[in-house]
Amino acid sequence: MSEVKQNTYWKSLNQLANNQEYQKFVEREFPENATELTDGFSRRSFLAIMGSAVLLASCDFARRPIQKILPYSKQPEDVIPGISLYYASAMPFLGNLTGLVVENHEGRPTKVEGNELHPGSRGATSAYNQASVLGMYDPDRSRKVLKGGNNASVEDFVSFAKSHFADTKQRIAFISEANSSPTLESLKKSTLKKFSNATWTTYEVFGEENALEGTNIAFGKRLRTYNQLDKADVIVSLNDDFMAATHPNSVENAKMVSSRRKVTGTNDTMSRIYSVEDSFTLTGSLADNRLKLKASEIAPFTFALAAALSKRVSGLDAFKNVNNQFSNHKWISVLVDELTNNMGKSVLTTGLQNSAEEHAAVAAINYALGNANKTVSYLQAPHLSDKGATLSSVLEDMKAGAVDTVVLIGTNPSYTAQNLEFTSALKKVANVIHLSDYVDETSKNASWHVNRAHYLETWGDGYSFNGTRSVIQPQIQPLYDGLSEIELLNIIANGSLASGYDLVQRTFKSIHGSSFSAKWKKILHDGVDPKDGFKTVSPRLTSSFSKNVAKALSKKATTGIEVVIRPDSSLFDGRFANIAWLQELPDPMTKITWDNVALMSPKTAEELGVKNEDVVEITTNGKTIKIAAWIQPGHVDGSITLSVGYGRDGIGRVANSYMDFTTGGVDTYPLMGKELYSEAKVSKTGDSYKIACVQDHHSLEDRDMFRMATLEEYKKNPDFAAYLSVHGYAVPGMKEAAEKGENAPVSLFDEQTFPEGEPQWGMAIDLNSCFGCGVCVIACQSENNIPTIGKKEVLRGREMHWIRNDRYYVGEDANNPQAVHQPVPCMHCELAPCEQVCPVAATTHSEDGMNQMTYNRCIGTRYCANNCPYKVRRFNFFNYSKEFLATGTETDIISMAMNPEVTVRFRGVMEKCTYCVQRVNRAKIDAKIETGSPKPADGTVKTACQQACPADAIYFGDLTDENSTVTKMKRNERNYLMLEELNARPRTSYMAKLRNPNPALA
Amino acid sequence: MSKYEYIPEPALVKGDHDFSSLTRLVTDINLRPTPKAWYIAMMAANALLLVLLGSIGYLIWEGIGIWGLNNPVGWGWAIINFVWWVGIGHAGTLISAILFLFRQDWRTAINRFAEAMTIFAVMCALIFPGIHVGRIWVIYWVFPVPNQMSMWPNFNSPLLWDVFAVSTYFTVSFLFWYVGLVPDLATLRDRAVDKVRKVAYGIFAMGWTGSNRHWWNYEKSYMILAGLATPLVLSVHTIVSFDFAVSLIPGWHTTIFPPYFVAGAIFSGFAMVLTLMIVTRKIFGMKDIMTDDHMEKMNIIILVTGSMVGFAYMMEFFIAWYSGVEYEKAIFIKRATGPYAWAYWTMMTCNVLSPQFFWSKKLRRSVGFTFFISIVVNIGMWFERFVITVTSLANDYLPSSWDYYSPTLWDILTYVGTFGLFFTMFLLFLRFLPMVALAEIKAILPQADPHNYDDVTKEYHAPKVVVPKPQLAEKV
Repeated sequence: MSEVKQNTYWKSLNQLANNQEYQKFVEREFPENATELTDGFSRRSFLAIMGSAVLLASCDFARRPIQKILPYSKQPEDVIPGISLYYASAMPFLGNLTGLVVENHEGRPTKVEGNELHPGSRGATSAYNQASVLGMYDPDRSRKVLKGGNNASVEDFVSFAKSHFADTKQRIAFISEANSSPTLESLKKSTLKKFSNATWTTYEVFGEENALEGTNIAFGKRLRTYNQLDKADVIVSLNDDFMAATHPNSVENAKMVSSRRKVTGTNDTMSRIYSVEDSFTLTGSLADNRLKLKASEIAPFTFALAAALSKRVSGLDAFKNVNNQFSNHKWISVLVDELTNNMGKSVLTTGLQNSAEEHAAVAAINYALGNANKTVSYLQAPHLSDKGATLSSVLEDMKAGAVDTVVLIGTNPSYTAQNLEFTSALKKVANVIHLSDYVDETSKNASWHVNRAHYLETWGDGYSFNGTRSVIQPQIQPLYDGLSEIELLNIIANGSLASGYDLVQRTFKSIHGSSFSAKWKKILHDGVDPKDGFKTVSPRLTSSFSKNVAKALSKKATTGIEVVIRPDSSLFDGRFANIAWLQELPDPMTKITWDNVALMSPKTAEELGVKNEDVVEITTNGKTIKIAAWIQPGHVDGSITLSVGYGRDGIGRVANSYMDFTTGGVDTYPLMGKELYSEAKVSKTGDSYKIACVQDHHSLEDRDMFRMATLEEYKKNPDFAAYLSVHGYAVPGMKEAAEKGENAPVSLFDEQTFPEGEPQWGMAIDLNSCFGCGVCVIACQSENNIPTIGKKEVLRGREMHWIRNDRYYVGEDANNPQAVHQPVPCMHCELAPCEQVCPVAATTHSEDGMNQMTYNRCIGTRYCANNCPYKVRRFNFFNYSKEFLATGTETDIISMAMNPEVTVRFRGVMEKCTYCVQRVNRAKIDAKIETGSPKPADGTVKTACQQACPADAIYFGDLTDENSTVTKMKRNERNYLMLEELNARPRTSYMAKLRNPNPALA
Repeated sequence: MSKYEYIPEPALVKGDHDFSSLTRLVTDINLRPTPKAWYIAMMAANALLLVLLGSIGYLIWEGIGIWGLNNPVGWGWAIINFVWWVGIGHAGTLISAILFLFRQDWRTAINRFAEAMTIFAVMCALIFPGIHVGRIWVIYWVFPVPNQMSMWPNFNSPLLWDVFAVSTYFTVSFLFWYVGLVPDLATLRDRAVDKVRKVAYGIFAMGWTGSNRHWWNYEKSYMILAGLATPLVLSVHTIVSFDFAVSLIPGWHTTIFPPYFVAGAIFSGFAMVLTLMIVTRKIFGMKDIMTDDHMEKMNIIILVTGSMVGFAYMMEFFIAWYSGVEYEKAIFIKRATGPYAWAYWTMMTCNVLSPQFFWSKKLRRSVGFTFFISIVVNIGMWFERFVITVTSLANDYLPSSWDYYSPTLWDILTYVGTFGLFFTMFLLFLRFLPMVALAEIKAILPQADPHNYDDVTKEYHAPKVVVPKPQLAEKV
């Protein structure tokens, strides 16, 4: 075996899985037809699962206790083999549901898509939603109940619970992750009633506790702040990365923001976004004006803004006397003018990790500006109204031996609360029950570990961020059994195992009362419950507001280097660490995969004497870590941003950090302090560590791939994005073509002919909407069976993503650049350079104008990839698919996540974006059956990237249809072709970006 | 008296040689028992050949991923080596065909082994297009094999032109070489004492008796093949250059490529001939045949072609600037100053600077210096292909795609292994075939233009033909 091979991640998996079963599997000639694997998941039980899922379909989502149905001797209604079915469901994240429509192939979910009826989705998804499919098929998920680390069964646990929880006087501490389930809420109430000495803690390390406490300070109630960004003309973000997937309402935020920034003509307006932040975030890159401040300076800035506003509007007297280094800052006066000119039409928002006082101040400012109930709603969520016991108070009890039983629901504090020494406190407790997806850091210290069923496998319910109730519908029988949160809590409360289905139905019955079954059907079908959600509250500033914020007002910024710990763009708090798609998703700003780094500004790096990949030692809060440095242009000086979720051990094959440190990153949780930031000592170690970054070059080199103007400039010169405007001369050859009456320069090669009657596909990508989140990458990966290749291969520059998101830094000032994002899929050129050079004609043109790859014909000369000016072609250097799929003991499992409509590619062939040809052809067939013409109606075909995009940046459709959206977009004056002068005539075009900066800050 | 003084051309064969001494000098090598040194050299070459076979085997087993290629850089060492080896081949054909047609008699001393070098170099080159594809087992799809799907190759693709060009080149070179060998094989047949050799050489001599008719046919076919091979010298590297020139990658899409590639090929080919000649003539005592005059003539060709290549480099730069195409400009500046500047300046030093020393007659005639420069030139020409192939791909249109390419151990082993194949073949050639075209070189001796009439009596004396007996004792 070569070095290369050994070090690719999936290969190491094979070696890790070097057990007997795997060996047997390898030795068999036709593994999929041979005898069944004895352990866990087998083909036959898969059929059983299929059968039950068929039942699901045939009985309108109801589930019957029938388990074993083998092949369809009688075709069930609604099921046509090969035709996928779609069911509504929802994914919980940070206690909020995002509505989904799940694509289901003969009983196995393969892809999630947004539910247009659901407010948290509006048809789009986040990267976490998309990747959750692979999360469900993760062979490393916990499969068993463990009692003290030994195998046990659910029945064992139930009988234990029955006897153990007979004592209702015992002191129980429940620690749960955020969960909005009304079923859980009612179970929680009855449990706390039954166990009089029980406490309930909702613990999320990156949760919204500070925000809730902030409204409590301001308005005397724990209220959810719901920013209606689509109603705002001015948005001011104070270190709030509300566009990133790490935000609990990211998808809706993106939908709302982009709806106010769609420009179709010179009369359109755009909202204006200001961002004040320390690290360079997605929100910051979208913002029209961005100010770099250290995280510790955000609070003084906020208070200074409030103070300045207090002179213009009433209700901010609490801040009247604030006078700090920002009081005379240029931005303050500009913002005061802007906000007072847009009373009731602006949104101020502050980051979830910022202090409660900052949230209170922002709430007060929004209130004072008249934004409350106009652009900012305050919602009363039942599950958030009670603060419960704080984790630190529970920990004190645990340390003092004052807790008999700890029940941990879904959360993993042994990892995320290392700084609070959670594990040592946990060891003082006799009975620890832990429900989790993986046998994680906390499970290892639990007397009972119960494996949790995935949201795609189990019934559940919950609320969207803005309070719409939905049911979580399972798509498959649990692969590894397991219990949901509500089932576990029900066992504890009632001593018996009840199905999640019954528990959820009971809740909805109590809400809906009469004629339940019809309503239930509709709720399941639509994925949303129309009946009342969260109540909107008309807030009033409390009288004690001034007193409660007073102490925070004098808080000073740090003077030395500060360290800020953030959730990771891919792994969040570490919960997604074992999902390879996310590990390999380049960070939207740094483009780094598989690792976390210490982000710092070029100036700070220079002061520390480090460059990219140099390992630095960071000491703060009494702990020290070593981590590779990475220079982030636009990062504030004197600050280091770290992300969490890496450096794991014993979680799963993807998450684990290996001894040779080729993957895995660094665990940064030990550095966590009480606040968002802490002052740190940083020094260079002299070591270096390889980082797999997919984009080496960050400057546009004055090239014209990305075109941008301000809104003002656009209004003056609507054609600013045209080749002529950019270069000062027309596309070479165009003049001669025009003389001959042709609309494109002459070509050496035969031009494609596109027959009448065929649709002609094209795409337009609105750079004004794209903010670079990267969900298109994961959606494409899920739809098109794109393998992950591991850090070593990414380091070699062989990433396989069919659509990538290029990020360039632009602007004059190297210390304060702008960042722009440009998704690049295959351009489907009409005169495709790749097609001319293939010696075996493996890539050719279809009659409906797509550049197609015939995998079976490809011999892999890579000439097409060389000759692609956009470099969108991807080569299978190794048998990546096999390595990705045939890994571990149960190779069938990840294979089940594959889309059966897309070929899994073999070693040595080229692949690339197909415009989701499987979807296109399905729609063409359907259209032909229905109308006789192969032209589907506009909007019926959506590519995976387009569908997932929360900013609606991607338009796709038939160019022969004069009225299709994509045709209209392509007629827009902002539309331009990348590398137009090459005369490749790409079908994918871009719409130039617009910015709406405040001239006062220019 | 004319004001010009007649200076006779120096004798092409030095020393006091007649036909039989030349026959002995050249063919005794093939008839003597195998020297020990040959076995040692053969073992070393075979070891390298095994490295080649091993690397190819592992490549087929594991995939192209064992090489250092990545997303923008789809072609690396394999294509560089291919172009480099094909280029080396060019000198052989040029010497044997073009110089034949131009009646350059000095070619006869070196044409045989230069042609052998061509064939072996093309064999080494042909390996790479065969193995560099992702699915090696279907490489035959590049040939227009009739099939039930009527699926033909894409005749627009320069890679397909390559398939035809290089295979034609190999076939014609091989035939040309073999036809030239026939009279010499007959000589070997006649001189061989053991039966095996007699039969083997006899078969390949195809019944050559040296009759007038045989000579007539031979001369005609040799001339025709020379005529066929001549355009191939120009066409093969022209078509190889089309692999790059027909694409639209900046730094590749250039009309100067065909002449520039051909000049470069001849440049590197002559350097390789010199490298081999200097070593062989020393070992086999061929200084009388392969003289310093030959070396000087070839050095002049190196000087000329090297300067042409240097001119081409400068023209590229000029045209990149003159064209006004920003990507073209950028790539040339990047080559000279960017991440691969080390390769670019290696190329410039080796290819443009080093041949300029040959303006000095003294250096042209210095064996040691010529040997040194011949190696330097081949290093330089390898780097030229590296610069063209890799830098253009690594830094093309979209800056986001830019990446750095570096080879793996397997890239290096495969390249080193091709020398194993080359030297294995070359050693076999030296051992079993006459390394000098005997029949042809005899034709340029003064004896070939005999005056068989007695100066005084004017009587005719038939010349005596003696086939010398092989001198089996080893002469060092």
